[in-house]
Amino acid sequence: MTANLPQQSAMSIAVVVLAAGSGSRFGSATNKVWLPLGGRRIISRSLANAIKSFPGCRTVLVINPQDTLMANQVLEREVPSVEVELVEGGETRHNSEYNALAHLAPAIVSGEINVVLIHDGARPLATSLLFQDVARTAHRHGGALPAIVVDPFEIDFKSPNKIVRVQTPQAFRAGELLSAYQQAHRDQFIGTDTAACMEKYFPDVENIAVAGETQNVKITYPQDLVIAEHVLEMRGYTE
Amino acid sequence: MTDEVMYAELHCAHCDQETLHALVYAGRLIVSSTCQTCHLQMKHEPGDLRIHYLKDLENRIVTKPSRLWRRFWKSPVNLMWNMPKKVFQQPRKIWREIKSLFR
Repeated sequence: MTANLPQQSAMSIAVVVLAAGSGSRFGSATNKVWLPLGGRRIISRSLANAIKSFPGCRTVLVINPQDTLMANQVLEREVPSVEVELVEGGETRHNSEYNALAHLAPAIVSGEINVVLIHDGARPLATSLLFQDVARTAHRHGGALPAIVVDPFEIDFKSPNKIVRVQTPQAFRAGELLSAYQQAHRDQFIGTDTAACMEKYFPDVENIAVAGETQNVKITYPQDLVIAEHVLEMRGYTE
Repeated sequence: MTDEVMYAELHCAHCDQETLHALVYAGRLIVSSTCQTCHLQMKHEPGDLRIHYLKDLENRIVTKPSRLWRRFWKSPVNLMWNMPKKVFQQPRKIWREIKSLFR
């Protein structure tokens, strides 16, 4: 069966971690990704999981410019062994993604990077397996995103459609992704997430749903921090 | 590594919007979070938290030598320079953490 598959180049990955959301409405607030979680910052855990999945890959952290000093201090202390490239975020998630892709553009155009993973910095519990799974699927099919089927009773039990909860990391072939964001930038289109932009400009690119992880929570509510703490404790604080 | 109280913007279930929250930590653990708009407070059950804290403290003590060793290799001068101050501050830090568990 594998003999029928098209020849594929080796996978070369770049990971973009988004952490540019701000607590700007409240002067003294810390962006939640910089909060401690089990002894390390949330963002350090998100980065560490990504880096562990693809040793030697290019890693881009998109931050709010006002967090630059903190980012340098935290990275030096908590992610010392890896060179993390800092990029300034935009006003929206879409713009932050665009800035990161523009930063990676020379390497994408030259073919040095052929798959880009976009991960939400507020998801510190995504495992290496999930990162690798979405990267492999995107490399083979064009795009991949983790999803979990929602119990219909949770939302609307009359709904005839299957509803899924989409997570990150989402991965796409780098060339198409860059091209989609460049076109979106010209058209001033702002997508709700990475997949939305790809679907608009490359509807033919397959975007495969891979099995998400129930523990891959996005830190949104205060109780999410406690849940994440318990998950980390169960994992022995390793991932 | 942390201040005992940190402020961050999180979604409040009662206000149903992003609000400023005060988060109280004891060591690596979250003791409580309080919405600064509606004052909705989320707290660990105290007995449960103390058990977790003791387990966590044990883990911190056990892993301390390896963490110090890593820091020593990374920046020996920095570590040696800051060590006396840190050793001196440690009892006070632990005392503050324990106090926050009984608040």
